[in-house]
Amino acid sequence: MADNGFEVYLVEKEPTIGGYAASFCCKATEKCSKCSVCLVPEKMLEVAANPQISLLVNSELVGISGEVCDFSVELVQKPTFVDPERCIACGICTESCPSEPSKGIYLPAPAAVPRTYIIDKNQCLRFKGDRCNICRDMCPTGAVDFEQKPKKRRLKVSAVIVATGFDAFDARQKGLLGYGRYPNVLTGLDLERRFNAEGSISLPSNGKAPQNVAFIQCVGSRDEYIGNGYCSQVCCKYAMRFARLLQYQNPEARVTIFYIDLQTAGKGFGEFYEECKGAIRFVHGVPVEVSEISPDELEVRYEDPVEGKVAKETHDLVVLSVGITPRKDSWDLAKVLGINLGDYGFFDTQDPLDGTATNVEGIFLAGTCQGAKDIPESIAHGVQAASRAIQTLTARGD
Amino acid sequence: MNTEGAFLPDIVAFCCAHSAYQAADSAGYLRIPYPENIRVIRVPCAGRVDVLHILKAFEKGADGVLVLGCHEGACRHISGNIRAKNRAQKANTLLEEIGVDGKRVEMLTLAQNQGLRFAQIASEMTERIKQLEGKHNA
Amino acid sequence: MDNSSRLGVFLCDCGNTMSKTIDFSAIKAKLERLDDIDYVAISHDLCLIKAQEAMQKDIRDRGINRVVVAACSPELHEHTFMNVLQRAGVNPHLLSMANIREQCFWTHPHKEKAAEKAMVQIVLAINRARLLEPVEKAEIPVNQDVLIVGGGIVGTEAAIELSHLNLKTTLIEKEAALGGKLNLFASLYPLQITPEEVLASKLKQVTESPNIDVLTSAELIDVRGQAGNFVARIKRGDEEFVRNFGAVILATGYDAQFASQLYGFETSTSIVTLSQLEEMLKSPAEIKKIPRNVGFITDVSDEHSRISTLSALRNALGVKEKFGSEVCILCKNLKVDGAGLEKLYHDCRNRGVIFLKFDKPPKISEEDGEIHIQVEDVLMPGEQMALSCDLLVVEEMVIPPSDSETLRSILDIGLDPQGFYQDNNIHLYPTFSNREGIFFAGNCHADLDLIRALTEASNVALSAYRLLAQGRVTIEAENVMIDPSKCCFCLTCIRACPHNAIREVQVDHEKRVAQIVDLACQGCGICTAVCPAKAIRFKDWSDDQILAELELVGAYL
Repeated sequence: MADNGFEVYLVEKEPTIGGYAASFCCKATEKCSKCSVCLVPEKMLEVAANPQISLLVNSELVGISGEVCDFSVELVQKPTFVDPERCIACGICTESCPSEPSKGIYLPAPAAVPRTYIIDKNQCLRFKGDRCNICRDMCPTGAVDFEQKPKKRRLKVSAVIVATGFDAFDARQKGLLGYGRYPNVLTGLDLERRFNAEGSISLPSNGKAPQNVAFIQCVGSRDEYIGNGYCSQVCCKYAMRFARLLQYQNPEARVTIFYIDLQTAGKGFGEFYEECKGAIRFVHGVPVEVSEISPDELEVRYEDPVEGKVAKETHDLVVLSVGITPRKDSWDLAKVLGINLGDYGFFDTQDPLDGTATNVEGIFLAGTCQGAKDIPESIAHGVQAASRAIQTLTARGD
Repeated sequence: MNTEGAFLPDIVAFCCAHSAYQAADSAGYLRIPYPENIRVIRVPCAGRVDVLHILKAFEKGADGVLVLGCHEGACRHISGNIRAKNRAQKANTLLEEIGVDGKRVEMLTLAQNQGLRFAQIASEMTERIKQLEGKHNA
Repeated sequence: MDNSSRLGVFLCDCGNTMSKTIDFSAIKAKLERLDDIDYVAISHDLCLIKAQEAMQKDIRDRGINRVVVAACSPELHEHTFMNVLQRAGVNPHLLSMANIREQCFWTHPHKEKAAEKAMVQIVLAINRARLLEPVEKAEIPVNQDVLIVGGGIVGTEAAIELSHLNLKTTLIEKEAALGGKLNLFASLYPLQITPEEVLASKLKQVTESPNIDVLTSAELIDVRGQAGNFVARIKRGDEEFVRNFGAVILATGYDAQFASQLYGFETSTSIVTLSQLEEMLKSPAEIKKIPRNVGFITDVSDEHSRISTLSALRNALGVKEKFGSEVCILCKNLKVDGAGLEKLYHDCRNRGVIFLKFDKPPKISEEDGEIHIQVEDVLMPGEQMALSCDLLVVEEMVIPPSDSETLRSILDIGLDPQGFYQDNNIHLYPTFSNREGIFFAGNCHADLDLIRALTEASNVALSAYRLLAQGRVTIEAENVMIDPSKCCFCLTCIRACPHNAIREVQVDHEKRVAQIVDLACQGCGICTAVCPAKAIRFKDWSDDQILAELELVGAYL
């Protein structure tokens, strides 16, 4: 929208933009895996450099009135106790912070946009009752302000685009799969973050490189029983990209993918699958239970299609390919905006052909908050929402 | 050489602004240390780097040259990284012809969010060239 | 170096954090001793507005016209300082930055070495600054009309959206009517609207719009020029005419082909393709004999197609509704990664469609109008199941439309290994070609369901709008420049340019040279590197600038 002359307020609940995808890792082996994660930091920097876009982070929308071309929107900005107009991201505060094991003041992500430090009340010693002013005293620009209060803001806008994203399926809901109980059961999201932080995966139980990995697909997706009767679209792809990456780093490692239907559609992905399928063991059937034999060994129980009976096998790492689910706070936002929730709890669209229109003219949807999609499609959906917004405003002479 | 006597080879790293240069920045944000002898030169695309630039680097005293660009299949300019790879190979061939061997020019790929990888590349290249120098001195 | 150049160096110690180990005063002193340095200033927070205002004032007051900033990464703040230069009346390209924070202070724990390195980085940035040249902006008028090739649902939608954005389009379609594949579909499941309804609605909008010129039975036969100024030659019947456009959108769809060789048989009364089935479903009254058992087979000729699964599912539902037959679908993997597809699959099951998954392709034979299938169900391995049906519906491969190669060569863009239009970088910029101003949408470049295809229609409409809406585009004039006196027209750069941004220009009646098209140039510098005569100068990234950064390798100051 900014590129087309509009002024944009980008309202973000977290301290940095980028959402989940900003924490994902590059999955290249000897060549690019086309996971599109690297698009995200690029977009974030473009936003940062664009003078038409005002970033309002740590902010939530709490009220709206008016109508298209003339909305009045109320925001509340949470205090982070650091003044973004003064923070130069020098890092002295974090270095000096005495809080253990995690710092009370930090940069929310290495590539955070805006690049401003924040204080976390749950970690900060001062907010937990100690008399500590170290960061404030060390800050060269006087950016630390313990007196910062929540700020209310009212904005006049012509249109609203909702792009609040998703939550990953909480794998603990599938208790039998052991997530949260056994350290060597991880989700796809855990893998992203670990790869990003360490460049490789080591078993949480003993720090060694995994030799025998199992991916379990469709955890929380294609599951009408729990209300998620849709395919999350991203999991087969990320599982295979990870499988390939794991084997690239450790050619001896065995990888098994337990699946229902392999989602191999999408430009170039068929070729990717053909290239790596020989090295991956695919089992047609999703396990029902994961249990621990020992801290370093997990047992996976599934129905073996070949033998036609229940089989058990050992793996050292089990990855649950969790899917995309609507955010828990969608309901609140829907109520505030007066828009509907639709299938499976995602925001509803009015026109089946157009995933961006809501029941309120001037309020549009973009990205995974409307339904599961991968990164390039989320970007495309965002562009579509912008296009619709501009068309609506153009029609009304705005 | 550095002032302390322990030999650190001088490595020039031509870094594509789109990927490698940002990865180097990312290494900075993550405070991941890598050897100081790495000289980063920013270029708009790995394909901007000419064999001339690589050879000049050696003429000016470099012991090794890295050309860092986007992963294969991810170059915004389609063929920039491939050209860079070819030129690195060509430079190695030319260098061997004049007696500078050891494959001192390497073209490697990475993405902009791979700060850790940048630091690893810098350290590994330093170590590899160091071993080469060790052999020479012997 | 320019005699009138006045060089100013602005050091930032990032809130005094860097001055603990890097002696900025000493650096300042050393720099001030250099002949051509007119001014050195130390700041603690150049990224904050106040310091920038001071910097701006310094530049103006002291007549500085070349600026070096030693601070954080240019990736973070280059644009910030370029704005400062602009406001101070200096060409923003006369900025050189030394990254002494992210790439020095933050990653080198040995403080002495970090200090030495910082000094070297600053000196090199100064070296570079001496060789910088101003780059001016220019405005190029652009033609605001958009050419859309392909009058299917995607092309039509793009035209409608552009019309809402007040841009005029010419929509050319090689068939006699608009609508493309939607004219042939019997249903749009999982969507609850019919293809007829969709087409009627879209066609109405097209007809009612004064902004859309529809040319059916028309073909594109040539395109010259560059983004903003394409000249297209269109053929319609016996007529050929030329029109100008600012952007071109390809929405030519796909073709469906039955891989009869792979299957080992041809279609017959009992074996039909999905397309043929759709024809039957559209006019069920004309069917002489309603099939009792219908078998669908997919994933033999292409197991990675989403459209293939979708087509089978929605037509299976269609068969249930129109014929009431028993239906069985044989497949390898159901591609349900699209909105509503999982539900469509469940709808099929709830209606009694049987699904059978195989690994090895089934054996098929025909006898007396009955089709016999032998297949190994993955859930019952080792056992061959025998099925029979009176109508077998075979999948079709999704192949590029027949005019892909022609259009590709007319437009000089790439194709992927399958012959579909090549994205600029697959997945990374899906609807952009490698050429500025040329876009694709829909199935001509990827395997998409209708909702995804329509999202792409929106995307390309907005991309074209972004380029053309102002009627003029601001570009960097001659950042990359070919010296006509050195150019011998070897064509190397023209072939090497990944964005087709170099054109041929007649200098006089004898000489032709290559010339950079500023609007299409994306600043990669590949041409600069490949030119054997070194006739190309890239002002922002010239050879001498790069070489100037190679000084002092190994030396410490």
